[in-house]
Amino acid sequence: MRDLVKYGYTTLTISTLLISYCLIFNPESWIVYSIAIVFIPLFILSLGLITMATPEKDEEEDRINEPFIGY
Amino acid sequence: MNLMAIIIINVLISFLFGSILLGFHRKIMARIQLRPGPPIIQYFLHSLKFFFKETAFPKTASMPFYLSIVCILCGIWIAAIIIGPVLKGSLLLLFAIYAVYKIVEHNAGSSSGSPYGKMSCVRAVFSASSELPLFAVIAIIYLQVGSMNISDIINYQSIHGPLILKLPLVAIVLFVLILSKSPYSPFGITKGKDIISGYETEHFGLMRGYIMLSDSISWYMLSWMFLTIFFGNLSVLSYVVGMLVIAFLTGLINATTPILNPNHSVMSQISMALIGLLGSLLLMFFVF
Repeated sequence: MRDLVKYGYTTLTISTLLISYCLIFNPESWIVYSIAIVFIPLFILSLGLITMATPEKDEEEDRINEPFIGY
Repeated sequence: MNLMAIIIINVLISFLFGSILLGFHRKIMARIQLRPGPPIIQYFLHSLKFFFKETAFPKTASMPFYLSIVCILCGIWIAAIIIGPVLKGSLLLLFAIYAVYKIVEHNAGSSSGSPYGKMSCVRAVFSASSELPLFAVIAIIYLQVGSMNISDIINYQSIHGPLILKLPLVAIVLFVLILSKSPYSPFGITKGKDIISGYETEHFGLMRGYIMLSDSISWYMLSWMFLTIFFGNLSVLSYVVGMLVIAFLTGLINATTPILNPNHSVMSQISMALIGLLGSLLLMFFVF
């Protein structure tokens, strides 16, 4: 779970940099489209990974790798 | 204006307005069923709320596929926004995006390893076999207009009038396609309540919020596509009214119709596609 938050920060940095690059330098269209299709979703996902609540230390084992419930 | 800024503005508008439309759709369904229903803004608030919820990952989920599939779902609808409102490009590309969307729905179901997800994954293939023929009626639009480009379709309508008057059956068939994408749709077999939430069953917390965000974008996009193809270049106010009317009509139908079983859903959609296709050809050659 902690690793996911770390990945979240890394992805957020990369996607913010690339989106800012397109906003500032206005590169060729195909580069903008590629960055938009790949990195806008990654930007949103990384925001989610950072903002999602993480379990307490002692509860962590019960929460990760949750088996299916309800069937 | 900067291209990336245009794309980001369009994505933001589609998310905000799409989620309001889905909230309105839910309100209409509630009112028809004599319930007060949640506020119209509830769908939007739910989408944001889930981003702050704790997320657990099932033991049987195939990581990182389980996580990346929701990313791909968002990516394909952003691609649709680029092809549609930003570029006014080819309808054929939108058809391809819809086909990829069905594959993503299928894979989202299988990625969690849940039996409900797997059932939904099988149903996604069934529904693809009926929804893609529905979308294929865009071939009739090509026969009428002579181009698949949305900008050419808009130009054609500014000279010859709205296409809905020339191709009413095609409009009905594409409306059925939008209907099958709406929540609680009679054709929504991939999210039927008999399989809990289908492919979304094991995607909760952050990932549920992300799927809701993509659903808002897709709902806006499909409504935009319908209005642009059949009514031409509309003003912002006309788009808003048109999208509200589509949400109202789908809400009305969904509130009063039970979810069909997969066989009936597929067969009725294929029948509608065939009637729409052949009927439109007859209308084109013998009436107009």
